Amino acid sequence: MEIRLKNLTKCFPGNPKKGIPDTYAVNALDITVPDGKLVGLLGPSGCGKSTTLYMIAGLLEPSEGEIWFGDEDVTDLEPEKRGIGLVFQNYALYPHMTVYKNVAFPLTNLRIEEKMLDENGNQLLDEDGKPAVKRRKLTKDEIDKIVRETARVVQIEQFLERKPNQLSGGQQQRVAIARALVKKPKVLLLDEPLSNLDARLRLQTREEIRRIQQSTGITTVFVTHDQEEAMSISDEIVVMKLGVEQQRGVPQEVYNNPCNKFVANFLGTPPINLFKGKIKGNKVYVGDQVVRDITEKDVPDQDCTVGIRPEGIIVDPNGTFDFECGRILTMGRDIMLMSKHPEALSDTKFLIDAFVQVEVGNVKCTVKPHKCFAFSLEGDELRII
Amino acid sequence: MEYDSRNFIQKLFGMKSREQKQAEREASAEYQAIETSSMTLVIKEGHTDAAQLARAQKVGKIIGSIITYGFLLFMSVIILFPFYWMIITSLKSTTEIRGNVQTFFPVTVLWSNYITVFNTFDFVTYVGNTLIVGVISTIGTLITTILAAFAFARLNFHGKDLIFSILLATMMIPGEMMVITNYITVAKLPWYEFGHGMVNGWLTYKDSVFASMIVPFWVSVFYIYLLRQNFKQIPNELYLAAKVDGKSDWQFLWKVMVPLAAPTLISIFILKLMGSWNSYVWPQLVTAKDESWRLVTNGLRSSFSTSAGEPQYGIQMAATILVTVPLLLLFIFFRKYIMKGVGRAGIKG
Amino acid sequence: MANVLGKVKDFFGGLFKRKERVSADAGERNNWKAWLYLAPVIILLAIFTFYPLINTVVIAFLKNYNYTTGLSDGFTFDNFLNVLTLAGRTTTQETIYRWNTTYDAVTKTYTGIDSDGIACTVYFQTDVIKYALPNTMLITFITVPASIVIALLISVCLHSIKAFQKIFQTIFFVPYVTNAIAVGMVFAVLFDSKGILNYIFNLGDSFFWIDRAAPWSHGMIALCIYIVWHSLPYKILIFLSALQNIDKQYYDAAKIDCAGKFKTFMNVTVPMLSPQILYIMITSFIGSFKEYTSVVGLFGSPSTDGGSTKNMYTIVYYIYDCIKQPDTVARGAAAALLLFIIIMIFTAIQFQVSKKRVHY
Repeated sequence: MEIRLKNLTKCFPGNPKKGIPDTYAVNALDITVPDGKLVGLLGPSGCGKSTTLYMIAGLLEPSEGEIWFGDEDVTDLEPEKRGIGLVFQNYALYPHMTVYKNVAFPLTNLRIEEKMLDENGNQLLDEDGKPAVKRRKLTKDEIDKIVRETARVVQIEQFLERKPNQLSGGQQQRVAIARALVKKPKVLLLDEPLSNLDARLRLQTREEIRRIQQSTGITTVFVTHDQEEAMSISDEIVVMKLGVEQQRGVPQEVYNNPCNKFVANFLGTPPINLFKGKIKGNKVYVGDQVVRDITEKDVPDQDCTVGIRPEGIIVDPNGTFDFECGRILTMGRDIMLMSKHPEALSDTKFLIDAFVQVEVGNVKCTVKPHKCFAFSLEGDELRII
Repeated sequence: MEYDSRNFIQKLFGMKSREQKQAEREASAEYQAIETSSMTLVIKEGHTDAAQLARAQKVGKIIGSIITYGFLLFMSVIILFPFYWMIITSLKSTTEIRGNVQTFFPVTVLWSNYITVFNTFDFVTYVGNTLIVGVISTIGTLITTILAAFAFARLNFHGKDLIFSILLATMMIPGEMMVITNYITVAKLPWYEFGHGMVNGWLTYKDSVFASMIVPFWVSVFYIYLLRQNFKQIPNELYLAAKVDGKSDWQFLWKVMVPLAAPTLISIFILKLMGSWNSYVWPQLVTAKDESWRLVTNGLRSSFSTSAGEPQYGIQMAATILVTVPLLLLFIFFRKYIMKGVGRAGIKG
Repeated sequence: MANVLGKVKDFFGGLFKRKERVSADAGERNNWKAWLYLAPVIILLAIFTFYPLINTVVIAFLKNYNYTTGLSDGFTFDNFLNVLTLAGRTTTQETIYRWNTTYDAVTKTYTGIDSDGIACTVYFQTDVIKYALPNTMLITFITVPASIVIALLISVCLHSIKAFQKIFQTIFFVPYVTNAIAVGMVFAVLFDSKGILNYIFNLGDSFFWIDRAAPWSHGMIALCIYIVWHSLPYKILIFLSALQNIDKQYYDAAKIDCAGKFKTFMNVTVPMLSPQILYIMITSFIGSFKEYTSVVGLFGSPSTDGGSTKNMYTIVYYIYDCIKQPDTVARGAAAALLLFIIIMIFTAIQFQVSKKRVHY
């Protein structure tokens, strides 16, 4: 099912008497999540991504705007009427129920819809001419079978009789996913699903989420502050800042073509290196070095911020860029150089292959032009090139 | 252990284990016939359109809040009605009270009931007795409670946990177990010449009766527990800092801990005072010799129960109000402390 | 409060376990000082709690115990037998057993031979088995569940509203700060045969609740209503503060799981409140086994004397009656011990039953 957010706004009213202004947690958000896709909402904490998710779930009421599931406006519906699955940040498993009961609980609240057939097996129609259906509660056996099948999908069969507090974080997380999946929702929402897991488990679980999502084909929205996590599994990402959407698109596309300085800075580890620069004669300069020629269009001369991705700087004895390398961090496959440059806004970090021999001190480099961006100094610091 | 015993019982009665049952269940034809992939699961209302659901939901919400508020309002009336009735009955004449038609407001407002109460029921004396007993026993309780709570919260000694557990366990023992012997004890203590009303020492008989209403109540395990919890929340760093500054435990207790725990101490003070005001059984026992030594509650029940057969409800209620109003005033002024102190019991910790 | 229960449990468990020796640590410098701090409490408890506890048990087994002289005729089970068979003030110092007495319904006296073979008469006063115990049990099993259910309902409603919550909360707490005797007297006015209740429900002035002529069942209904009314505020306060401590997230999860209001209540609220429910259950069980002042407040006396058709005696009322007479003190001690045992048994049962249902 497609999810459409139209002009979605959440405003926490301030107190005019005390001079506290209204706070916009989410401001005029328009997003369409295509059917069957996995979309990641990405942003630093406080950017309104969780608020957005909770509004989609119905746990928060939007101040303005509409939420559509398919061709239905669900803005005013309570969460229990939306039939969605939600995985909470810290899972919110019922501590007093066993895993089995946790997973079975949603099923006990649902009905099963069956077509009404006549003796010959033909579909009966109701007064409006629609196919007639009847609803009934699920039997114990049906619940059991669904629970066990779902448990198999998320691999928690061996824990079914345990209580949540007897499980590790990763296991609890899978139980939470099972509880969300068990009712076969049209929409699955995940709120920072990996934040409580350790690094190794995180890698494993995010693959799991991807696998489950693809096998079930449920439209999924998930929220994270970890850009790597979002980029690795999302079909599409939406980068947000202070309640406003910054950029949306296929992860690699967003990474390669960030629309402004915020997005460029937010995506990528280590983050992009920023320098004071200028554009003169359709060339981008850092200091007096040209880092990139502009061929696509004519840009008027101006001062700007230049961003260079860490992987865009290459150690090259013949290079023209001079860095003062202060520290070498060994990271296994790569090494990272923490360097200084007179025009840099902060320490420059760049990654090079571990077999390249470098020493602390002066390092000569070249820059890959397509890893360089120039951002305006005004307003939203949009990308110039 | 639990698992073992279950296994044993299962074997004993030839019961099936959970795994066996599950396997049987899964083997059954009906179970296998269930086709989960083709199931359509819907919410209770089915595939009704969203606008309809939203409308039903709105109606449901309104009905829900009407029921909620209606219920709460109804219960508040039940809760408050006795108070209202007490007030208006105290202003009615006996003929009006016992009349065939009950009035929700007195036909003639009769203040004389209150005058009668002051004339026949020695309210001032009883209140004086109650205040003496209440204040002295409350102060004593506060002192013992502070000392004990400090020891349990801050100091280390052998058997601390054991003693604390024993103290808590005493809360489960019905006071009636103690009353009998305590009655005999106070009767035998040097200050109380039982049965004769003669005291040789520096205490008069009346003093000794009062002492017997005070001293046994100088300890309250529950308040020790309450204050200990409060003391424990005071960060250890403060204690260590005070140690570094050369303060003794004693100074630290009175200069740091007691001021910080002031809200709890106020709660204890008020609750204990209210407890004295309401105490009935023990004073009834030890003041049997002289009615003028009684506390306010004892005086209340024994007065004007009958006058020529008919109960004088108007006067009774006037007296009841005089007993109840001080409590309500305390409640109005110290609502926060009282509710916090009482509610503390239910919170984990 | 879970902590208190835990500690008490630990204590009972620890009685049978050998305590491991605590290794000496720096804190032990405080050792003797700590005992100084504890001294007042320990001395007072020793005199007014621990000694009485033991002494009461001893007295319960003494024959012809006289508390002014402290003398007795040695060990006996008679006190318990008296409590469980025929009890009350006797005309002689001796007691007689039911199985060799004749009962005169007019004068309400038993006549017979006492254990020493002397003829004597016993006024029929009270019968623990016939009145005090059934009354107490009935009060307990009616008022405890009723007040818990009502208090839960009120707390959940209170918790769900936003407007006027504070006001309602205060209103529901008011009965807590009242005097049981005083309000009992107010209820006596309400339940008077010419009182407002009979007037509102049009029962006429010959429908008796608490008067001497009232049937036992009416008296019991009035008493239970009063006890529930008076015990609600504490429970509401405890439940409400516990409700406010439940993580809102579980309710969100229940909504996502499509659970209705009732289902959420049964599957989320009640289990989450279970420690408080257990605490309230145990304390109010103990409390209502000791019901006394409410009877005094409502009825003045339990109307066991001349001509009353009902008997509102409770166990504790019986104990206090026994204490007032020097010759029945030992019987009171026996009754108190029995009460203690009953309370212990019920508390143990509740702990046992709750083991699987309470989630700390």
